[in-house]
Amino acid sequence: MSDEVKWTKTISDVNDGILANLEKPHPTYYLAWMTAILFVAIGIACWTYQITYGTGAAGLNSPVYWGVYITDFVFWVGIGHAGTLISAILFLFRAKWRNTVARGAEAMTVFAVITAGLFPLIHVGRLWFAAYWMAPLPNTNNLWVNFRSPLIWDVFAISTYLTISLLFWYMGLVPDLASIRDRVKGFKRLVYGIMSFGWRGTARQWHHYEAGYGFLAALATPLVLSVHSIVSWDFAMSIQPGWHTTIFPPYFVAGAILSGCAMVYTLLVPIRKMFRFEQFITKEHLEACVKLTLLTSTIVFYAYAVEFFVAWYSGNVYEWEIFEKRAVGPYAFYFWVMVFCNCVFPMIWWSKRMRNNVAVSMFVAILINVGMWFERYNIIVSSLAEDFIPGSWGHYQPSFIEIGITLGSFGWFFFWFLIFCKFFPIVSMSELKLIMPKPLSTSKNS
Amino acid sequence: MKNKRPGGILAVFKYLDHLTNAMEKAGKRGDFDGHEVFSPTSYHEIEHAAGYGASPVRFFTLAGAMTGTCLGFALPLLTDWDWNLVVGGKAGVFPSLPAYVVIGFELTILLGGIATIIGMLVMGRIPNPKQRVLDPRFTDDRFGIFVPHAALDGEQARILKECGAEEIKEIKAT
Repeated sequence: MSDEVKWTKTISDVNDGILANLEKPHPTYYLAWMTAILFVAIGIACWTYQITYGTGAAGLNSPVYWGVYITDFVFWVGIGHAGTLISAILFLFRAKWRNTVARGAEAMTVFAVITAGLFPLIHVGRLWFAAYWMAPLPNTNNLWVNFRSPLIWDVFAISTYLTISLLFWYMGLVPDLASIRDRVKGFKRLVYGIMSFGWRGTARQWHHYEAGYGFLAALATPLVLSVHSIVSWDFAMSIQPGWHTTIFPPYFVAGAILSGCAMVYTLLVPIRKMFRFEQFITKEHLEACVKLTLLTSTIVFYAYAVEFFVAWYSGNVYEWEIFEKRAVGPYAFYFWVMVFCNCVFPMIWWSKRMRNNVAVSMFVAILINVGMWFERYNIIVSSLAEDFIPGSWGHYQPSFIEIGITLGSFGWFFFWFLIFCKFFPIVSMSELKLIMPKPLSTSKNS
Repeated sequence: MKNKRPGGILAVFKYLDHLTNAMEKAGKRGDFDGHEVFSPTSYHEIEHAAGYGASPVRFFTLAGAMTGTCLGFALPLLTDWDWNLVVGGKAGVFPSLPAYVVIGFELTILLGGIATIIGMLVMGRIPNPKQRVLDPRFTDDRFGIFVPHAALDGEQARILKECGAEEIKEIKAT
């Protein structure tokens, strides 16, 4: 991929190009940051209301006790998947285009998983009474947690994923933090010096760094595939119609990567503009990201179709009933938004002209984000609302409190992401230098 | 008292091939002992010229991962041993082992990853507050070779200059 990139810059331009622009972002950066704070304030206000008046404010009631909060949880964990996919799996496949977008994708992963982690806490209501249930500690009756429960597997999976993503991201940052340290003076130099661990860039340090980075990538690769598989088992291990299916793990992983790649695109386009990184994150890199999104969209399309086929072919009336109702029942709106956003609109990307049209691609990427949220909502709510016994059926409508907290979670995510962009290089300088023309005396290109 | 941070000469290179050429020459001689090479990023050419073998970081990864596997299985099995809770018709220990694979797998990755980071830090000798930055350009776009206990008018400086060093400067002992 990088062979197709016509670099107009050399490695000597990288530090200046990336770091100088961090100091003076475009005014829209501050506007975006203030908007994020506003959304966080809405979320905090709604959460305070829920804590004060109880979880009844959330609109959760029998039979739907997993509503928007668990939808949000699954959505944000899914968003977090592209970061590790891009940084670990594409690293092992030597896809060079990843070098420019990996740092942003990793930061997105870390903040998305932190955001996801808030939702089980919000969901339990007054968290100081209930949050410790998630830790592997004995309860008041001296009984241990049930390690056979997918919910406990999920706690282990998400916390491992967060830790490994955080370590992977921070180790990648160390050489770049040393670059900043060597450019600044005074107190800033001290802070960046501590954060860079005294990195000097010796050949020996790079040698062990490269080895360790490869091992971390090798460990993170099965991890990224396992995490959303385990999240899917939260559903698939139950006997609930619409959930109890073996297709769930690959279906969830493909969906997670689709939403993650779309979010990477959604974030990179404005960031590239705000910090003037057009010459480093080129159109070729954006197109590669679009191609990956299109690939996962087709996999998700296939999964939707197979899910329907399996429901019909199984001959299980309860299973088929749920799928029929998803398509034409009370939740049909959510279903069709999901199908159009995740499967139909991305088809426009088969055209190279559309892939390279940043405005169109940005619009489709946002639609995919919307579609993936609706997918989780559709899976969770439609299956819970109408199961085996008609007498226990119900209907679920998200309350304003839940919508407010969801908006707050977007604000929270963007708030941290934008702060990160301002103080840390959002493009990995050391990795970018690797895909640029080598500074050789024979080519005289430096 | 032996000085921990010796003086010497520092050669700055603009081109990667000049640097690797100098490294190969330095490796064949005896008077470049203890020299350090600096690079703004991890070019494999430098690794080849330095002749490094496989990094010992892999042993850290293996030890961490194996510890994680043992711990991941031990945690649910020991809780079964403490109180055998029958859930869904399945008793603890052997009938529940497939379910415990998930915990074993996750802790393998977790401790393997943490140990890898520890390995990278230990082998790279960081964090080290006493490290000195010899030239800020080495984290930007220049390469360098530091030769301890060498002088500007010595043979080492002449060789480095011959290999294409764009600048050679003296570094004082600290």
